[in-house]
Amino acid sequence: MNLRDHKIYRIQEIRELTESAFILRFDRHGLNFMAGQHILIGLEGSSELREYSVYSGEKDDFLEILVKEVETGMVSKQLKKLKVGDPVQVESAVGFFRINKEDIDKKLLFIASGTGIAPFHSFIKSYPGINHTLLHGIRYSHEAYESESYEDFRYISCVSKDQKGVFKGRVTDYLKQNRIEENTLVYLCGNSDMILECKDLLEEQGISNESIYTEVYF
Amino acid sequence: MKKIAFKTLGCRLNQFETDSIVSQFHHGDYEIVDFSEVADVYVVNTCTVTKQGDSRSRQAVNFANRKNPDSLMVVTGCMVNNHMDNSQNLQDVTYFVKNEQKSSIFHIVESHLGGEMIIPSDLKPDTFNYSPADKTMHTRSMIKIQDGCDNFCTFCIVPKVRGRAVSRPPHDIMENIRKVLDFGFKEIILTGVNIGRYDSQDWNFEKLLESIVEISGDFRVRISSIEPDGYGDRFIELLQHPKVTPHLHLCLQSGSDRILLQMKRMYTSSEYRNIIDKIKREIPDFNFTTDIMVGFPGETEKDFQQTVSMVEEIGFSHVHTFKYSIRNGTRAARMEDQIRGNVKSDRSEIIRKLAEENKLTYRRTFIGKDQRVLIEKINRKGIAKGYGQHYIPVEFPANSYSRNDFAEVQIKEINRGKEPVLVGVV
Ligand SMILES: Cc1cc2nc3c(=O)[nH]c(=O)nc-3n(C[C@H](O)[C@H](O)[C@H](O)COP(=O)(O)OP(=O)(O)OC[C@H]3O[C@@H](n4cnc5c(N)ncnc54)[C@H](O)[C@@H]3O)c2cc1C
Repeated sequence: MNLRDHKIYRIQEIRELTESAFILRFDRHGLNFMAGQHILIGLEGSSELREYSVYSGEKDDFLEILVKEVETGMVSKQLKKLKVGDPVQVESAVGFFRINKEDIDKKLLFIASGTGIAPFHSFIKSYPGINHTLLHGIRYSHEAYESESYEDFRYISCVSKDQKGVFKGRVTDYLKQNRIEENTLVYLCGNSDMILECKDLLEEQGISNESIYTEVYF
Repeated sequence: MKKIAFKTLGCRLNQFETDSIVSQFHHGDYEIVDFSEVADVYVVNTCTVTKQGDSRSRQAVNFANRKNPDSLMVVTGCMVNNHMDNSQNLQDVTYFVKNEQKSSIFHIVESHLGGEMIIPSDLKPDTFNYSPADKTMHTRSMIKIQDGCDNFCTFCIVPKVRGRAVSRPPHDIMENIRKVLDFGFKEIILTGVNIGRYDSQDWNFEKLLESIVEISGDFRVRISSIEPDGYGDRFIELLQHPKVTPHLHLCLQSGSDRILLQMKRMYTSSEYRNIIDKIKREIPDFNFTTDIMVGFPGETEKDFQQTVSMVEEIGFSHVHTFKYSIRNGTRAARMEDQIRGNVKSDRSEIIRKLAEENKLTYRRTFIGKDQRVLIEKINRKGIAKGYGQHYIPVEFPANSYSRNDFAEVQIKEINRGKEPVLVGVV
């Protein structure tokens, strides 16, 4: 049957990005996924699993996720405590937040808040040469997770609480001040308030709902 | 001859699976009796989609146990998959059978009565190993085309209890349909958890539907419950095919875009409206029914009013209203701002009343029109009962017609009972 299969993966590498955000790398174990999909992860033997977008690329021989520890949370705190070599259980990839084959050559706008940048990192690594712009909404400029991995002219950090962003203000402020080209496909990922506000602003600019794809984290 | 009784809770898929199991017993050496009677074997096919589903499932098991404490009790279905631990608290259950072994219940019972205890979880899992239900039971044959769901709506326990989406190979489906048509069935209902996402061997839902309607013969196809995502304009074209009935149960859940996002539904209220508009443009009297969930965490009065407006505006002819209930292990269970029970009840009542008015208004529009009714039964007074193509109940004097005939019925009036029925003549 279509049982949800759990497999045990061991942590190969941990990259601390900020005090609360980190990247976990695992062996790929042949896991199939399409950029934009997420996996479910939890401690070995636990019934508490959470969704994490795959951060790494489709062709990488490892699997990575980008996690932010949530103060009031559970699994993100457990993941934060793990060390290299520790086991986690992983369920296979799932999700419809993907770039359709026929859209790959179109103009793409990626809008993320916080760790919502993870699927976009995977898109960009998986499909080199895609015509994209990435807006990253963060509070402080040090939360521009691995921003050096993106082409400068394509990555726009929108920083609301310090002055060091490429754009000073929230992604919604950016949208108010910048016109999005017609025929752009827009992908939104992160918290639902940001997504809802952006959708309204995009609609005002004439971007239709059919051209907008969303992935809500919380 | 051993007596066996069945109780099914929840969705059509459960109903389909029970029907298939009942048919196996029917062909075996068993007398099928009503669930309210004393039986030697009880099979309860449970539901866990809501708290109510859980409690009704438990009630059914306890009821059967009181009827015959010595019975062989088989409990199966989603409640078993969801919480084996809690299900174990149920008294005197002989077998807990998970969904993936459900199709083996006949084998389990037969073996037990023959003196052999089988451990259900040792049996090979199989999602689609159900033979078509017996023709004596229904005039419509449900065809299971898919199981499980990958949408992961934040309130929904289904991905946990039914597993990941899996589609039945198209050739098995086509063979199954040909077989039930040969048996004499005249209506088939495509069933699954999320059938719009059908995907097998490069066949999507449209391709499957297109091939089904190409099968020759006088039959019609009903698409039961479908999510408003995952299919394109070709689907709308296919809805106009004479074999496809003009009815969809298109799950809306909420009219608030904010709540739809939080539910992780894959459409906005305007995308939903667009689908309705496109279909209505082609088939103005199309019958839309839906599911509405009230009291999702954080649902404000404004959000709820948006749902009310949408229900009013679309004029669903039937609304299945659910009060949100926490399902452990889902994202929504961890959301703050859970809504109080009395607020949920009030909202549910508002939708229920509105839906009742809508139903009557919609059904009235059929007075003076024709319906092609598949006769399900004819009572002692010679009144035939069945459903028209729009999935509305119709009654009329049977004259020379028999059960399982199609009859062209002219609708004369509406019978305003709890369930308004169209009344007509052939
Ligand atoms: C499809 C999908 C993909 C996801 N991908 C990622 C990812 O790549 N990286 C990631 O860090 N998280 C991701 N999440 C969120 C993740 O699943 C967990 O919810 C999160 O890590 C917190 O888990 P928890 O058990 O600690 O707390 P939970 O019990 O899950 O959440 C506690 C509360 O924290 C809030 N919350 C959840 N996530 C965040 C967050 N990222 N930032 C701030 N507040 C939050 C919620 O409001 C929630 O009420 C994703 C969620 C979904 C649905």
